[in-house]
Parts: sequence; C-alpha cells; structure tokens
Amino acid sequence: MGRKNPASQKALNLLRNRLCNPNFIFKPLSDSPDSNYSKLKFLVSSSVTEACNNSILLLGPRGSGKIAVLELVLGDLLLEYPDTLSVIMLNGLLHSDDNCAIKEIARQLCMEHNLMFSKMASFDDNSQFMIAMLRECGLAHKTIIFVLKEFDLFAQGKQRLLYSLLDAMQSVTSQAVVIGVSCRLDADQLLEKRVRSRFSHRKLLFLPPCKEELQRLLEHILSLPMDSSLPRDYAVEFNGKIKNILADERFKEIINTYLNSDSTVNHLLRFLFQAVSYMDLESGFLSLENFKTALPNFQRQPKLESIKDCSILELYILVCMKRLEVKEQNSYNFNSVMKEYKSIHDSFKTSDYYARSVCLRAFEHLLQRELICFTDNRGYSHLVEFRPVKLLISYVELHHGLKSYRSCPAILLKLMER
Amino acid sequence: MAETTPKRPYQSPRKQQKQQFSPSISLTPQTPQTLASSGTRRSSRRRSLLEDPTTPEKPFSSIEKPVNDSPKSSNLARNGEGLKQRINLSKEERGETPKSKKNVKDENVKTPRSKRKNDELYSVEVMFSPVSPELSETKKKKREDFFEEKTAVVTRSKAKWRNGKVDDGGKKKKRVYYKKVVYDGGEFELGDDVYVKRREDASSDDEDPEVEECRVCFKAGRSVMIECDDCLGGFHLKCLKPPLKQVPDGDWVCTFCEARKMGKEVELPKPPEGKKRVRTMREKLLSSHLWAAHIQSMWKEVDGNYWCHVRWYMIPEETVSGRQPHNLRRELYRTNDFAHIEMESIIRHCFVKNPKEFSEASNEGDDVFLCEYEYDIHWHSFKRIAEIDNEGDGEDADSDEDWNLCKAADSDTDEDMEYEEEYVKNLQTRPPTAHELAANSRKGRFFGLQKIGTKRIPEHVRCHKPTEIERAKATLLLATLPKSLPCRNKEMEEVTTFIKGAICDDHCLGRCLYIHGVPGTGKTMSVLSVMRNLKSEVEAGSIRPYSFVEVNGLKLASPENIYRVIYEALSGHRVGWKKALQLLNERFSDGKKICKEDDRPCILLIDELDLLVTRNQSVLYNILDWPTKPHSKLIVIGIANTMDLPEKLLPRISSRMGVQRLCFGPYNYQQLQEIISSRLKGIEAFERQAIEFASRKVAAISGDARRALEICRRAAEIADYRIKKLTVNPSSASAGKGLVAMADVEAAIQEMFQAPHIQVMKSSSKLSKIFLTAMVHELYKTGMGETDFEKLAMTVSFICTSNGETFPGWDILLKVGCKLGECRIILCEPGSRHRLQKLQLNFPSDDVAFALKDSKELSWLSKYL
Repeated sequence: MGRKNPASQKALNLLRNRLCNPNFIFKPLSDSPDSNYSKLKFLVSSSVTEACNNSILLLGPRGSGKIAVLELVLGDLLLEYPDTLSVIMLNGLLHSDDNCAIKEIARQLCMEHNLMFSKMASFDDNSQFMIAMLRECGLAHKTIIFVLKEFDLFAQGKQRLLYSLLDAMQSVTSQAVVIGVSCRLDADQLLEKRVRSRFSHRKLLFLPPCKEELQRLLEHILSLPMDSSLPRDYAVEFNGKIKNILADERFKEIINTYLNSDSTVNHLLRFLFQAVSYMDLESGFLSLENFKTALPNFQRQPKLESIKDCSILELYILVCMKRLEVKEQNSYNFNSVMKEYKSIHDSFKTSDYYARSVCLRAFEHLLQRELICFTDNRGYSHLVEFRPVKLLISYVELHHGLKSYRSCPAILLKLMER
Repeated sequence: MAETTPKRPYQSPRKQQKQQFSPSISLTPQTPQTLASSGTRRSSRRRSLLEDPTTPEKPFSSIEKPVNDSPKSSNLARNGEGLKQRINLSKEERGETPKSKKNVKDENVKTPRSKRKNDELYSVEVMFSPVSPELSETKKKKREDFFEEKTAVVTRSKAKWRNGKVDDGGKKKKRVYYKKVVYDGGEFELGDDVYVKRREDASSDDEDPEVEECRVCFKAGRSVMIECDDCLGGFHLKCLKPPLKQVPDGDWVCTFCEARKMGKEVELPKPPEGKKRVRTMREKLLSSHLWAAHIQSMWKEVDGNYWCHVRWYMIPEETVSGRQPHNLRRELYRTNDFAHIEMESIIRHCFVKNPKEFSEASNEGDDVFLCEYEYDIHWHSFKRIAEIDNEGDGEDADSDEDWNLCKAADSDTDEDMEYEEEYVKNLQTRPPTAHELAANSRKGRFFGLQKIGTKRIPEHVRCHKPTEIERAKATLLLATLPKSLPCRNKEMEEVTTFIKGAICDDHCLGRCLYIHGVPGTGKTMSVLSVMRNLKSEVEAGSIRPYSFVEVNGLKLASPENIYRVIYEALSGHRVGWKKALQLLNERFSDGKKICKEDDRPCILLIDELDLLVTRNQSVLYNILDWPTKPHSKLIVIGIANTMDLPEKLLPRISSRMGVQRLCFGPYNYQQLQEIISSRLKGIEAFERQAIEFASRKVAAISGDARRALEICRRAAEIADYRIKKLTVNPSSASAGKGLVAMADVEAAIQEMFQAPHIQVMKSSSKLSKIFLTAMVHELYKTGMGETDFEKLAMTVSFICTSNGETFPGWDILLKVGCKLGECRIILCEPGSRHRLQKLQLNFPSDDVAFALKDSKELSWLSKYL
C-alpha cells in the first residue's frame, strides 16, 4: 500500500455511488420522445390533468430498468403535482393473496391520508373502503397510483383484487392509474377474460439498450464530472483515459463477450461495479486491465468447479453412474452404482476401494452438491440407497472436469472414454 | 350491494338538529382545526343570529360529575359500546335543544352550546351533567341499556327522549315542520338558497334594490343592461362608449376592466352628488356583508317563531386559501357548516347552481351563483360536489314528506330505522372525541373520509381548456356514462317486461332470469339502466315500489357472504352469514316479516353468477329456491359469461334458473361504430375511417365494446402524444394534424392485441438468439416440440463450432435459457434440473424465424431457420 491519492478515492466512491443509483443511470436515456420515460410520464400525467383512469403494463426482461424508470417518473410527478398524488406499492411476491393485498392497499391509503387503520377489518370492509377512497380522491382531484410489481403473480386464482380495482375504475368517477410491472411478456394473457376486458391494455416494452445507447451510457457513467470537488486536471486526465479505453477495440471485445449472455443494463452495471472496484488507487485511473480481470469473475462454470473439489471416490461414483446411463440403464439407485463400482474394482483391481458405508457418505455428498439428484420427489420414506437417482452433469462436462482434475487416476479417464 | 330504493327518510329534521353540534372540536392532535380562524367566524355567525348575543357564559359548576363518569365511559368505549353511548348522548342533547333555545332567549344561561365552548377539553360526558334531576335519572337507566341488545337501546332511549321532552317544559306541543313557508312576503321551500342577514351591518341590509344600477348613469331603468364578466358591473347598452346595439355573444369585458388590465389607472364614474351608490345583494354577498345559505329544514318553534336549519355558503375570500386565480367572480363554496337561524334573518332568494346549470343560466338576473366545490371548515380542504348528491337531495325532499305524514301516526318504527342513519351521520360529522376510529372498518361505514380533500383546487382543473382530442378522450372513458345506450334496445325491452311482469302482478310471483354474454357486451349496464328507468317510474307512481339489491360475485370474499350482503342491503343490519341465511330463509320461504317494508317485491341482481358455484352448489340452490316459494316476492337476475352455466349445474338448480334466458350477443362492427360515434357526437377528433377500422377489428376478434372504446381512447392518446411532442420541437410543427388517423388506431391495436415477443427476440443478446435458433433447429430435426437441455446444449455447441463462435460453456447457456424462460419466450423447468431440464418454445417457430432471420450481427442464423 503506497500513498493513496485522495482524489482517486473520491472518484472511486463517486463511480460506485453512480452505479448503485438507478436514477442516475436512466436519466440520460429518458430525454427523447420515444423513450419509455416520456411515454409513461405522458400517460400518468395526462390521467392526473384530465382526470381519467388508466391501466398500464410495463413489460421487459429482468434488469431492463422497468422499476427504475417508473420511479424516475413518479419522483418527477410528485414534484410536479405535490399533494395530488398518492402511490400505493404492492408486490406480487408479498401480496398475491387477494385478501392481504386489499388489506395492504387499505393500510397504505390510510397512511397516505393520515387515517386510522384497523387490522381487524374484513375483506369486504377493506374493498368498500378502497372504492370509497377512490371516489373521494376523485372528487378532491387526487390521483391514486397503484404499482403492482410482479404483476403476473396477481393474475393467479380468481383475480378478485384486479377485478374489483379495475371494475371500480370504470364505474366510479375516480382518477387512478394501475401500473403493472412484469417480466413475463404474456402477462396480459394471464388475465381472466372479464378482467382483461376491463384492463385498458396500455403496454410499454422495455428492451436492452442497443449498441449506440450502450456507448453513450458507458461514457455517461464512467466519465467524471468537471464541476465537482474533484481536482479539475485530474478529472480531465481521467476522462481522457476513459475515452481512450472506450474507443479501444479490445475493450469493446470484452464488453461484447460479457453482454453476449445477457445485454440488459443491470447486468452491465454489475460488471462495471466489479471493474471499477479493481481501479488502481495509486495512479487513480481506470485501465483496460481492470476490465480484463473483472471478466473471468462473471464467466464461471459452477459445475466444473464443483468437480474440481470432489474426492477420488466421488469421481468414481460419478463415472460409474455415467457408465450405467450409457448402458441405457434408465433407472438405477445406489445399490446398482455399488454393483458397477465393485465390478470395476474386480476387473481393474484399482487401489481405491472403499467400504460401502464410506461410499454411501460420498454419495450423499454428491446429492447435497446437486451433481446427482433423485428422479422422484416422492418416496421420502425410502432409504437413500433404494431411491432412483440421475446424473445432473453432462458427460462432456464430466470429461472436462476429469481432465482438469489435479491428480485424476488414469483409469477413470479410460473408463470415461469407453 | 347497493340498495337504491329510498327506504327511510334521509334528511329528517331531527337529524339536522343534531348537526348543529357538528362543528365541535376534536381532541386528537392532528386535527388541523384552528379555533382562531373558522371557529370565531362561525360562532359569530351564530351569535349574531341569536336574539340576545350577550349571553353570558356561566362557568361550569359540577365538575365532579364528569370526573366520576369518565372511567366508566372509557371502559365502555373500549368495549365498543362507546359509540352507542355517544349516540344516546346526542339524543339527550337533542332533547334539550328546544329548551336551550328558550333559555337563551330568557337570558338563562344553561345553553349546551356555550357549555361546549367552555369545556371542549372534557369528554362528551360533560353533556350529561348540566340540567335538571330528571335527566340524571334517565342517565342511570341508560347505563343499563348499554348491556342490552342494540335495538332495545334504540327504542328505549327514544322513548326516554320523548319523556324527557315532556318533562322539560311540560308542554305537549311539538315543533311543526314545513316543506314550504311563506314568510315576510317570500315563499321559501326546502332546498332553496337564500341571502341571510349579517348582524353587524344590519342597517344596510334593509335596502334591497331589485334591479341593479348602471355603472355609468347610476339609474336602474328598463333598458337592456349588459354585465361585465370581470367586475360584474352592469352597464346600459346605450351608456357604453361606443354604444352597443345588442348583447354580444361570448364573454364581454367592460372598458374599465380592459384598461385596468392594460395597466392604466382607471377612474370609475362617480355617482352624482347626494346619491349614495346602492349596492345589490350580490355585491354585498361577494364583499361578505351578507351570507348565503341553503335551507335544509324549516319549522315553527313551540313559541310560534319560525326557524330553519341552513347550510352556509362561503365566498372564496373567506376560505383559508383565499381567492385563487381560477375562482370565478360568482363562485361560492358549499360548506359543511350548519346552523339554526330564525327565518327573520332571511332576506330573499338567490340561486346557487352547479356548473352545468350555471353555464345554461344566461339570463336569470343578478342572484345566480356558481358552486362546484364543497369546503370543509375543519380541514380547510376542497372537494368537488358529487353529482349524485343532487339526485340524493331530490329524493330526500320526497321522503321527508313521507316522514312528516307518518310521523304523527307511528313514529316509533320510523325512528328505529332512522337510528342507523343518524349513527352514520354522527360518525361523519362529529370529529372523534374519545378515541379516533379506524377508517377502513366501521362496519362498512368509513370514518374520516372528510379529511380527504385538496388544500387548494389545482389550477389545471379549472383553467385548462380541453382540446378536441382531450375531450374525445374524456368521452371515451369507460367511467363516463353515455347519455344514451345505443344498440341494446331489444334486450333492455325484454328485461323491462320481465321485471314489470313480475312486480306488477298483484301476487308478485318470484321469477328468475339468466343473462349471459361475453364480457363487454353491456349486460350489467343494460340492467342497471333498466332499473334506473323503473325507479323513475316508481317515483312517478306508475308502478309500486320495490327494493333492489345488487351483488357482484367477484367482489364477495366467499360465496356464502352473499347472504350477509343481501341481508344487510335489505335490512341495514350486519350479521354473520349463517344468521343472515336463517333470517333470509324466514323472510322468503316462511314469509315472516323483518321490517315493515318487507312486503315490497325484491329484485336481486347477481353479477358474475358463476363465482357463486360452490362444491355442493348450496348457495346457488338456496338463492334460486326462494323465488319458487309462494310469498317470497323475490326476482333474481343472474348475469354470467358462459352460455351453458345452468347446464353445468345440478339439475335441481338448472330447472330453477334455466327457464328464462337472455343472450347478449357480441356487438358487430356497425353497432360498435354506432356506440363510438354516439359518444363522439359533436367532437371533431377522429377520422371516419379510423373509427370504422377500430370497430371492424374489435368485432372480428371479440365484439367487446370496452375494447373498442379503449382502442379509440388509446389511439387518441397516441395522437395527442404525437401532436404535443411535435409542438415541443417547432421544426416539424406543421406536420401535426389535429385528427386521430388510421395510423394511430393501427398502433393502438398493435399494442393491445400483439404480444411483444418478436421485438424482445430481436433485441435480445447474441447467445439468446443462438439458443432460440438451436431450439428451432432441434424442433425441425426431431419434429418434437419438447426437448431437454442436454440435447440443446449439444446442438448449440455444434452450431457454434461450425460458425466460428466460441461455445460459452454449459452453465452460462443454462442461465441464458432460464432468462428466456422468465420472459416466457420459452417454457422451461427450473434451472436446478440442469441437464434434465425440459424446454419448449412458447411461440410458433415461425415467429422466431421471422425475428431472427435478418439479424445483422449473426447473419448465419438464417441457415438454421
């Protein structure tokens, strides 16, 4: 640890702060009229100003910034129309049960308007309260925004919540917006037909950024601001380096390989965070090396790695299982594996022969590590030895794993190939 | 769940009497009530109306009594009995009121009102202590009552109240309530708006010029006058410079106001020497030298004085936020402030209208005012007055008459029923004293909703002039009820004849109608509009009254709850569903009467009937069995989507329900077109073909009117967005046309009916594309829709190696597959199954081929598609 550059520490903190702040990330993507931000803002604000009801679905793969954009919009609108908005947040993972969802709505409505809330109220009470509130708020020019995260989970069962919400919205003079957020593209198809008929089917699709947007985004995130407390010449130099890195073909290569598997913004941010954390604090500048070292961290192969940690006996068991499967023995259990193991031992006279109880322990380890699994979920009453099992690792991976194992017995590789 | 027939008089005078006490002060800290501002004002209002405003307020003498009382009462409150107690208390107060009023006149000091002012910090129990020994006796009795059943409490306390009143003065005379009073040359009815004198400048109140003077010549005269829309001054047409021949259309602003707007100093013409400028009532009101009020009830006091109960209006200047820029000159606010005033102080009529009436009233004189909002004097907040309120008022007036008629005969039962109403009113008007009540449960009555209201009326609501497209959007809203319901005349006719046939019979046999049709074909709407028509017929007296209960199966927590809801709607009492079933059985099967309105026929509308199907179908059976009973007088209308619901049920149910059916077919495109264009009548926002296109498209898919309306609204929204964004960049402003075009409708339809999977596939990552291609390839190769991860990974690695891509490794590939599964582009088992994971495309392989064929970065993909 040499001397530390205080400016570089500050710059690092700033970058990390940015990467964890979705508002910062999505702000520059939101100015064009085609962006989801301005469309969503128009939809919600028009229902505020024109006193109408709307229901909107935000769809897109996970990590594409649905909630981030939504929060950006809500934040802006709360500033724009200070006390006419109240936001009710529900999450499908927590409130997919209609009863508790309605209760939660009532609770949040009470909170928003400083009313007393009773936990004892029944479903009917709460849903009537909600409708009464919708009406009152409509009369007082107040808009209620219901945000339903994991919308698809609300579309299970009888969908009472959605029905009463959407039905109220088309019978009561209220101004309410229902915003469903879901990563399932077919979320609106899950709705029951009478609920779907009441849903107003505005959809906003969130897609991963394209190449140009990506480039802009990277520049926006990684370059330091000129008008901050950082020394000016430092910032200038830092930005110059970043510009060089971004223009570098090798950097593009790294980013592309990384985004090959998943090109959403969130995925990119995770990588950048790791890379930025590798920043050399002495020099205080990001370098291509940082990105290079960060890349392998995201390209790990957990199955292969877990083979690396196996004992020799466990490898034997895996190989035996593979041999059994190749022999098209579709259903086998520990006992048949032991039989195979014994036959191998008999024919090759290996030095690694262990007692049955030891083998059973090894077998259980493999089960815990999910390299093998039971094929049935039933039969908990059975002993482990008798339940049918399956290999959870492909032959190719197993072969790879054996080859890269530090001291793999040659016999195992031979057995694999046959 | 709603029950529409007016069962009980709603605005009975007694209730209003109580409302006098409504502006009491809450003890809860968050109450934003400011004694200083509104409190004084209101009290001054009151005091000025009393005969002797110098009523001394005697300090409260018997403190020990409330102190004794309070622990017990708080116990009661905790037991949930506190409320009842409070009601009884208020009854007590009511018993006292007449007396107290006399007291005031006799300069006797024990007015409950003044006491309240002193002792706001004590609990309500304070009310007990003041008066004569008789009352303390009744109090003891009341304590016993608390532990008895609810109904018993009501009746007894009622009885006691009457006793108390008799004790009070020994007078048998009652107040006499009137619907119409001719007083001082003016004829006043319930629901009229009047000017009310303000004590302080009573002198100037006497002059009452019927006709306004011209601002220029200061003579009234017969000739036509025109009103400036800014300063509301009147001008003779001939006095203007230059003189006008006729009243111009639209707004007109006088030259003085125009000049003032330009920033010039303006000197208004001064009245000739010796002549005082006479101000009209309107001017005095708007400069708060007068008050306006709404008459709620009128009566003659025992001593022969006429009193009335009024609801105050306020001018914008009197509110906390003051006059706001969007306030119109003639705007008033209705308040929730009530008072009793003597008829003596009423000057004459004025006319307060809602915005719609106001815009229609062009030539009705000087005393017309606009009132759109209600102002809450406790919370200083505004709220729009719901339109329903007006209808309600109309009904109330009617039922009040009933009340007066039957009052003499048997007021006992009547009062019983009113009890509930009062109870509600009590909750709402009286801020909580002992403990605040929860808002979301009060047995269906919500407490504290009066807190909701804007502190300021947002400006955009009043000042924004909607464009054509915005108006179109507003009329296309599902929530806006159209004036006419086209295309369902035949069905509505049938429903009407069915109901009329059932209830117009002398015996009123029970009947059952099953209505079915796909969503959005106007089933519920038609039935409800039939019921509205019938209600107006009831009011006109051509058919006899009935009770109407509406239940929605999907809004019930469980099917059994329907009994509870029905029973509550019929009787107003809340019981458990088992008890409710028993009571309903008694009523419908055995013909036992619960309350006196039971002989009315009952129409039960059950929406989403299929939700009531339970395992043994007992709920449906019970409900559908009642109409077959001889004395039930029950008519059941069931609405559901499926055509064959009766057939799916047990035969004993379908034989009871399936006889009479009515089908609402899906709308065809002409009908949809008619529905849309009837809503858009007079609004030039849509191209004709656009509407036709939308309705044809919807008719081809579902025939759902909601869909059609939503598509049009969405199209209007898209067009609006396009136009607004274009005007932001002035470069292409000329391109924006004011109409909703075909392209917008097309976009809306796309958005509504198309799954966005193709776009997602197009923009997905490289590996996901390869993954999908491998899926399609696998599908073509094997012909099987389903594959497993192991096979697929082999295919992917083969594809990758033969096209010079690096194979990413199995685990990353698994992750890619799971991501696709999350979006439901493919269907897959959980990733922990790894090699055994089963995969299947969720969309046709052609879609994948279409999406990926011309991908730029991976042109070789098309080989495999």
